[in-house]
This record gives sequence, C-alpha cells and structure tokens, in this order.
Amino acid sequence: MAKWGMVIDLDKCTGCQACTTACSMENNTLPGETWQDVLYYTAGENPSGQMKWLPRPCMQCENPSCVHVCPTRATYKDEEAGGIVFVDWNKCIGCKYCMIACPYGVRFYADEKPLIEPDIRDVFPGENGQLWSPPYQNPEEDWRRGIGIQPPGVVSKCTFCYHKVRHAPEGVADLDEDNPEVKEYVPACVRTCAPKARYFGDLDNPDSQVNRLIGDKHGVRLKDHTGNRPQVYYLGAGAGVPAFTPADRENDA
Amino acid sequence: MKLFQTLINRRRFLQSSAAVGAAGAVTTGFTGLTGLTQAPPARAQPTRGETTITKNVCAQCPARCGIDVYTTDGRVHAIYGTSDNPISNGKLCPKGHLGSYFLYDPDRFKGPMKRTNPNKGRDEDPGFVPISWEEALDTVAERLNDLRRREESHRFAMFYGRGWGASDAGIQYPFGELYGTPNAAIGHSSMCADGSKKAKQATDGNNSYSSYDYRNVNYLLIMGASFLEAFRPYNNVMQMWGHMRTKSPKTRVTTVDVRMSPTMAASDHALYIKPGTDGAFALAVAHVILTEGLWNREFAGDFTNPRLRFLAGQRISPVTFEEKWVHGLADWWNEELKDRTPEWAEAITGIEAEQIRRTAVEFGSTRPAVALFERGATGHSNGTYNGMAIHSLNALVGSLFAEGGIGYQVGPSYGKLPVEVADYQDDYARNGAWKEQPRLDMKGTDRWPMVGNMMQECARNHLDADPYTLDTAMFYYTNPIWSAPTPQVWEEALKDVFVIDTSPFPGETAMYADIVLPDCTYLERTQDVPTYPFEGWPMAELRTPAVEPIHDTRMYGDVVIELGKRIEGPMGDYYRELGNLENYIRHLAAGFADDPGDNGVDGFESWKEKGVWYKKPYQWRQIRGDFYEWDGERYSRQMSAEEVKQHLFKTPSGKFEVRSGYLEQHADYIERELGIPRARAGLVQWVEPVYTGGDGDLHFVTPKTPLHAEGRGANIPQQMMVHQPIVGGRNTVYLEVHPQTARERGIRNGDRVRIISDVGSIEAECRFVASHRPDTLVLPFEFGHWAQGRWAKGRGPGNSSEITANVSDPISGLASYYTGKVRLERA
Repeated sequence: MAKWGMVIDLDKCTGCQACTTACSMENNTLPGETWQDVLYYTAGENPSGQMKWLPRPCMQCENPSCVHVCPTRATYKDEEAGGIVFVDWNKCIGCKYCMIACPYGVRFYADEKPLIEPDIRDVFPGENGQLWSPPYQNPEEDWRRGIGIQPPGVVSKCTFCYHKVRHAPEGVADLDEDNPEVKEYVPACVRTCAPKARYFGDLDNPDSQVNRLIGDKHGVRLKDHTGNRPQVYYLGAGAGVPAFTPADRENDA
Repeated sequence: MKLFQTLINRRRFLQSSAAVGAAGAVTTGFTGLTGLTQAPPARAQPTRGETTITKNVCAQCPARCGIDVYTTDGRVHAIYGTSDNPISNGKLCPKGHLGSYFLYDPDRFKGPMKRTNPNKGRDEDPGFVPISWEEALDTVAERLNDLRRREESHRFAMFYGRGWGASDAGIQYPFGELYGTPNAAIGHSSMCADGSKKAKQATDGNNSYSSYDYRNVNYLLIMGASFLEAFRPYNNVMQMWGHMRTKSPKTRVTTVDVRMSPTMAASDHALYIKPGTDGAFALAVAHVILTEGLWNREFAGDFTNPRLRFLAGQRISPVTFEEKWVHGLADWWNEELKDRTPEWAEAITGIEAEQIRRTAVEFGSTRPAVALFERGATGHSNGTYNGMAIHSLNALVGSLFAEGGIGYQVGPSYGKLPVEVADYQDDYARNGAWKEQPRLDMKGTDRWPMVGNMMQECARNHLDADPYTLDTAMFYYTNPIWSAPTPQVWEEALKDVFVIDTSPFPGETAMYADIVLPDCTYLERTQDVPTYPFEGWPMAELRTPAVEPIHDTRMYGDVVIELGKRIEGPMGDYYRELGNLENYIRHLAAGFADDPGDNGVDGFESWKEKGVWYKKPYQWRQIRGDFYEWDGERYSRQMSAEEVKQHLFKTPSGKFEVRSGYLEQHADYIERELGIPRARAGLVQWVEPVYTGGDGDLHFVTPKTPLHAEGRGANIPQQMMVHQPIVGGRNTVYLEVHPQTARERGIRNGDRVRIISDVGSIEAECRFVASHRPDTLVLPFEFGHWAQGRWAKGRGPGNSSEITANVSDPISGLASYYTGKVRLERA
C-alpha cells in the first residue's frame, strides 16, 4: 500500500487560492469551512516590506495528535488508505477535542452560527441527514471516512480527496495531473494548481517524484518539533510557519 | 427535457422543505449546546448516476479558460480545467471552480419580467411581475418599431461589457446597421483597459493587447499589471509563472507598482512608484539602456561610427545614427531622452536612481526581455504616453515578434454568414435621419477623436441632451450604473430611459430595468469564444451547455435574433434567414472545414466535442533584426518591409515609432487637450499626470484581486469567506493604509474610516499594511453593491467608483481609475 504524501513548493506558489476553492467545490464545504486554506503574513515596512503565504491542507500526520485524543475513536489513521487521517461521521460526537489537539488548525466544526449571513444552510436546507444540501453537491459520499456533506454535529477535515485517490492504480508512484491516465484520481488542490506548486505521490516509493523533490529541494515538515511527522512537505524559501504573536490592535497589520 | 423536469421537481422539494429546516434550526438554538449531538445513523456509500463531462469556457474574467463541467444526475457539481485546452491545460484559477454557484445562485431571475413601479431609485422596489417571452419580446420590438417610425432610432443604444464573440457582442453590429442606430455596440473598453491598446497603436500600429512568449522570456519588467492577481489570461499566466521561475535560466522579475501585492512579493525586485509616474521610470530606463550601450543594434539600429555613443544631456547628430526598425530614435534622444536621467526620474517617481539604473542594466543585458504593463500605468490622464514609454523598452531590446518576446493575436478562420447586411437594409437603414447622428458617447467626433468607446460619457450626455437623449437602452454583461466612475450620474440618467437588462442576476441595472430578458448562465449556453490575446496563433473556443436552462431564460444572442425578426421591413427577413443562435454558430464553424485545427476540429460537431479550435504556430518571427514567415516547418521566408508593415508594424512608417505618426495626425487635438506643443505630439515623452478628486492629500488606488477580477462573484458566499484582500481579511474587504498615515489622522488598526473626494465619500474598515506607500490608500475595486443578490447587497466596504471622478485620458479615452486624490478620516 502506498503512503500518500503531498509536496508544496512555495517558490512556485502564487497564493491564488485555487486550491482552496477547488477543495470547497469538490468537498462541498460551507463558507469558511476551508479544509484547504492559504494563510497570509506580512512583515517589514515600505519600501522593503514582505508578504508571505502558506497553503495549508491537513498534514495527515504519521503520528496524529488528533487521533490520540478522540474519545470515540471516530478519528483514525487508515494505513490501508495510504495513511490518511479520517473522521468517521457515524462515530463522531462533535466534542472538538481533536480540534484543540491539532497543531495545524485544519479541523472544522461547521454546525455553528454561520460565518457569513445570510446562512446558506437556510437556502439549501439539509436532506437525508446532511447538514445542508446544495444542488451542486458532489455525488461521492462515505461517512465512515468523512467524505461528502457531513451530518450536523461532527468535525470535518481534508481527506486528501480519498474518494478520488482510492481509484489510483496499484503501485503508482505519483498521481500527476498531467498524466491523463490518473488525472481523475488526483486531489482537487493538486490537480488545479496552475503554477504546479503541488505534487502528490507515494512517500514509500524512493523513485517517486515527491521523494525526489523532497530530496533535491530539502523538503521540510511544519512544526516538526511536535513529533506529529506530517505527510505534507514544503519546499522553497519561507517553508515554515512564522511565529505567532497575539494581534496588537494598534501596531499589527 | 427530462433533466429540466427533474430539476423543477427538486426545486419544489427544496422550497417545501425550507420551513422544516428553519424549525429545526430554532430547536438547536434552544439547547444552547453547539457540540454534543446525538450520533447520526450509520451509513455507507450510496449509488450514483452516470457522470458526463461537457466542454465550456469560464466566464468570470476575459482569460477564456476551457473547462470540463462535470454533471451527474442532471446536476453540475464540479468544474476543472480542460487538459487539452491550450490556455487552461487542466488548470484553473480560484474563480473557475466556483462556476456552479452562478448556475444555482438562488437569487437568479427565473424568467422574463416587467416593471410595475414607475419610480426608479436605489430604494424603489421595481415591482417586477413575470411575463411570457412573447410578451417581453413584443413589448421591446414595438418600442423599437415606434422609434423607427418616428425616425428617432438613434435613441436606442445597446451597451455591452464582457462580449465573448461573434454570437453575442458581434451580433449587435449588424443589428445597428439594419435597424438604424450608431449606438448598437457601445462597449465598455474605455472603462477596461483601452490605454494599453492605444499605447501600442501609437507606437507599433496594433490597436490591441499583446501576446507573450513567456516560455522563452528571461527577464520580465512588470508595471502596473497585477500579474499574479488579475492579468489575463490569469490562469495561464500563473502556469507560466511556475515555468519561468523554475526553468533554466530562471526568468528574473522586477515589478513596479504602487502597492504591495502578491506580484510584488513574489518578484526578485519590488519597486514602489508614485501613482501616475510610470512613464518617467520607463524613460529613465530607456536613457540608461542607451547611455550604457545596451540596446539591440540589430533591431533598433546603430551609429555609423562605432566610437559614437549616447551621452547624458548631449544631442546626437541624426545623420550619424542609422535607424533600422525604430523610427525617430535620434529625435527621441535629442528632444526627450537625453535629459531623462535616473536622478531626474527619482524626483518624480520616488524610486531611487540607483534602483532605476540597476533595473535598466538588468533589462538591457538580459535577452529576451519583455516590459509588460496594464492599467496601473495607463489609468491616468497621461496613460497613453506612460504606456508608450514602457512599450518602447521592448523596441530598444528588440523583443517585438522575437522568441521570448511580444506579438499580437490572430483571429480564427470563421465561416461566412448566410446573409449579407447590405441585402436587407431598407432606405431608412441606408440613408435615414440616423445617419446624421453621432454616437451618444461622441466617439470619433472632435470631442473624442481617437477612442474605441466612451461608455462612461453616456449618462452625462443623456442628461445634457448633448448630442441627444436616450429613449431605450439594452444592457448586456455590463453594469455602468454601479461600475462606471461616478456612477451616481447614471442613477439619475437612467430614471427616464426605458431600460432592458439581460443579466441573469439581480444587479443594479436590473433595479432600474423596465423589462428583464434574462440570459442563461455560461454553463447553460452555446456560444463562440475566440481567444483574447494569448500566444498569437489563432484559437476559438465553444461553450456547450452542461444542462438545459434550469430557469425560463434565453441566450442573449437568441434574444437579439428574436428582436430582429420583429422589426418591420427587410430586417426581419435577415433574422428569419439567420434562424437562431446555433445556426449562426454552425456557419462560423463551417470555416474550419477548409482550415482544420491542430486537434482535428473541422466543423461544429468536432468543435463541440473538443471545445476548442486552434492552429499553431505564430506566423511570423523577428530574428536578429530580420522578419521571417513560417513555411510549415520553420521561420525561413524573409519578409519584405512592405509585408512587415502590412502584418506587424501597422504604422505610417512601417516601423516601431518612438515618434508616433498616429499621434501626429491628431497634434492639434493633443495640443488643445494636453498642452503639448504640436511639434512634440508624436514623441514618446513624459507628461505630468493630472490627479483628480479635488485637494485630497492621499493617492487612492483600487486594484483587482484574484477572486474578483471582474467582480462577477459578488454574490458567492464561499468566495467572500476566502477573499484575501492581500493581508488576510475575512468576510469583508479592507481599506489598506500605512500605519503612519493612519496614526497621523488618529486612526487605529481596524477603525471604521471615511474616504472623501470631491465627488463623494465612502466608508470602510481599515487595516494597517506597512508595506504600502504612506501616500497611497488601497481599496479593492468592485465592492459595495446595493443590489446583485442577498449576499452582495449592502455588504461593505463602499464602492470605490463613487469617489472616482469621471475623467479620462484624452487620447485612449480610458477612465482614470487610479489617479484619484482623497482625504481620510475616522468615520
């Protein structure tokens, strides 16, 4: 079985957020339930100021802290599915413990006051147990893996688009969207990335392009000191999370 | 039809279940617990229907990305770039994926309607009532016939914005010639980017945006173009960015702009320039390229004596310089450039002389190099001259029509229509009173002799009855009552005009409409889409509906044809002969039979299947100062000077002109409007910008952002929640201000502020951005709707257009969007 990994080259990323919207469309997330987000940071002052951005999917950690804390074993790391971390919506009780435990802030609980009014859930009310039911929803659904539109009261997260990835041919080294044979199996964020800043492949295969890139360009994992060991690697200048300081209302940008 | 039926049933079901959903929400609220809910019933994967993929073209910006639209059980649920489409190559920008939300926008118009409330205004409910298409079309046609009988047909105007091709905007031109109005196709280009087109027409004779060979360029100088946010074709530009920044050698990028942006942040050098002064920067770069001897001699020409050189402040003898493809170079140096030193430019632009010199040396010594610009540089009173100065850098380094350089787009091999306009014109169409009338916008008159369009003038001209008042106006893909500079004037003007809106969405124009003839969204349309300037070789795409129209809407092209059929006289026969839109498009596609595309497309059916027809490569190439034509295998056939003039440099001299023959033809006008002495009118030169908006002490710039290039996603909540106006805002868009500028006015980060010019004031929430220039406020363009749907309406910040004066570049006519001065205070 492959161990699925993602590589994000920050030297190529333009911060456009196509990954974010492709994900929101593919997975029908609610406004603000951004499984795949891009974070912006600014520093310095004119004329030498800088701006950085960091695309952030779920890291699908090898040692996921979210899994360790889940009281119902709803969230689990599925080695049979390439090491992707799933939430079983049949078991999740929405206690949000995992959201606190995750060092990367990539878990979401959408059954709250809407982040933007009017509430789109009132426009497309939930049917068949779904939290909401937009007409444009992806027909793929698998609640055991947190795929599809969630029921009320559960935590949701990036699945590496497992509903696509699961169809990948056995033994394939890389899921490269430029290869017509596999493009339909590539995660939405990777498939659409215009500057090709994202790569997706098998971390257990030393010949895979993701491993070559990690090797050649000194791939790093975010917050490695936590011991979570992400399956997402970053390349390029600024491949790290800027230190967080609480907002200074007067001075911060 | 079965799909349509299924959707109707589902919609009814949604409506009936809405009440249940609301009740459920109330119950949840009473529990006071947002967490621990009962575990839902276990379930696994359900069955699903067959998924079909149709080819379409995204309609959210001008880029024209080919898209694959995924539909299952009659519902569109995913959009990805088409892999074998040369622009999208399987990729999309952030807007593209959100296309389904347009189709299923709950605020869309469901069918044709007429107004019942005669009063018009922001707060007036139009009182729309549904009518049949027959009644709607008959009502409009009767009005048009009546105008024609009274010989006032010129008082009917058709305004269009994002036209796609022959089958929508293109269909308007014959309508005007048959019906009898000079106003059948008033485009929005003067509120878009006519400045860059005019700068190119004035220098190289092509009134067009350029095509670029990013694959092979090694240096990019980007000026005011928002390259990584909104430069077209955006998606492809980003693909090329990934290529340029990883190829060997890596393409070096210097960006000159008025604000921090993703482009500035991602470039090798970011230079912050004072708004409206890009021309001064470019002239100083040109000065250094010449004094340092870095120009391309094979293209531009050389001194007859190798010991001669350009020395700052010193004239050269024109007879000692032998010009090749750059006409007027010696004059340009003597009359303008010799004194345009980096030190001179520093005082005007605010960019240090050393940075200008470094940019010039890099640009001049890296081949191929391209200088690229858009309306950041041209949206000013001096915009055409700014653009000419920047474009002249391409001539100095010889990148015109070169590998890794810049070219122009060739149109597709469309077939002929089965009807000729001349055969269906009656006496009135040929010689009627309308022939004596100018266009409402005064294009082509002594007031605006060089412009392409002047839509922004129409409201004022109507109110002044100069040249005349409008009677009836139809709008397609444009909304000047909200987007024009000083749109307040349009709100007055359209009160007594019979307004026909064709948008599928309840925008501001619709709120003033007397009749609504709603178009289909792009996922429901058949429509031809020739490419915007891209890589030069011809290309035309085709939209194919993914689903039948889910509401009672009709494609705009069909609406124009149906109106045409109802006009008295032979005009009706023209449109009956044309039949319908699909028939029209089939005739266009017939042209491919004699000129099949590289992907085998040779007619309508194959065009529909592939979604695109194209033929590579570009026909012409300049190699070391000589021009060659493609012979089928390589660029081998050398072109004569006449051929170069016919196909490439369409100027009076047949060369690139730094002394513009085109502008010299209008020297009297230029002297009158810009105060430039007649004899100097043609020179590429520095012209002081005239800032608008009154005595404000701050510049006000209104950029486009990646999620909002043309503002078409205003009613998409998903878009609003991820819209990052540069500094990470959520749920709103911020006015970005340098902290020092704010503090001097007692403004704290996050305060509500008021931005004031002499045409109005708007409010916004402010964010401190220390990387912006302290003298420049930044507020993204196209926010602050007072209509457009439940999410868009009434959402902040204010609409930047409402404090933007309606002042335009006299040469190009481009509205000066980025030239405003404002004051800032706490609200």
